[in-house]
Amino acid sequence: MALGPSVPVLVVDDYKTMIRIICNLLKQLGFANVDEANDGTAALNMMREKDYGLIISDWNMEPMTGYELLREVRADDRLSRTPFIMVTAESKTDNVIAAKKAGVNNYIVKPFNAATLKSKIDAIFGDAA
Amino acid sequence: MAQVGGTKPKQEPRKRAKGDCCCNTHSVPAEITLLLNTLRELAAIRSTAEDAAARILDSAEGLLALADKEEAKKAEDAIMSIMTACGFDDLVGQRVTKITATLDKVIATRLNGEELDQPNGPAAEIELDGPSLPGGGHDQARIDLLFSKKN
Repeated sequence: MALGPSVPVLVVDDYKTMIRIICNLLKQLGFANVDEANDGTAALNMMREKDYGLIISDWNMEPMTGYELLREVRADDRLSRTPFIMVTAESKTDNVIAAKKAGVNNYIVKPFNAATLKSKIDAIFGDAA
Repeated sequence: MAQVGGTKPKQEPRKRAKGDCCCNTHSVPAEITLLLNTLRELAAIRSTAEDAAARILDSAEGLLALADKEEAKKAEDAIMSIMTACGFDDLVGQRVTKITATLDKVIATRLNGEELDQPNGPAAEIELDGPSLPGGGHDQARIDLLFSKKN
């Protein structure tokens, strides 16, 4: 899938405020095709129904966390190359290293600003170009 | 004039509670440790909310200054800043959830007349602790540094 603002993006968070914030930021960055899910299980089901070019996920959700979602995605042949950004309040070294080892493309710690989200997306699309 | 948010009231020195320890030679009961951690979480909630409110006000004042000008890009940036500042709602929610879980545990233990034990079940693969207290965890720059390192 060609990477750029035209790709479908899936935002995963159990907090409606955060989904609203990220969706608004993505629209400002030119992403028009943005879907949302409230936990990892719902996100995985959506990913198996539709091809997404970018996943932006929270970590701390139930019943499936963002970390578990990441591992499921990386273990799935069809989904394994999907760019994945973790956006979370978990900021300890163990969490960051675990996410990195599991194959996350970038890691944003809450609270964050629009420039941080843009720079991480740009880095992924730049790497993939 | 009545105070409108953001002004910190003077804090009275906290009186020593029964059971507080004045030296480092005695172990602090687990219950007291949990309650002290709860107080630290409450202080962090206040700080987070105050910081977010200040950012919202800064952006709103910026919008007011632009209202009669045709500077759409600056107005757009200010609005985006307002939106991201509202992320405090998520962080406050996570901290309050932690406090609620702690107090539930203390209350349940009190009601059962048992000692508050440390968790003795199998440790989670990766511990989730929510937002860090000031000075704990990493900021974005430190996380970027961790990411830039090879394995």
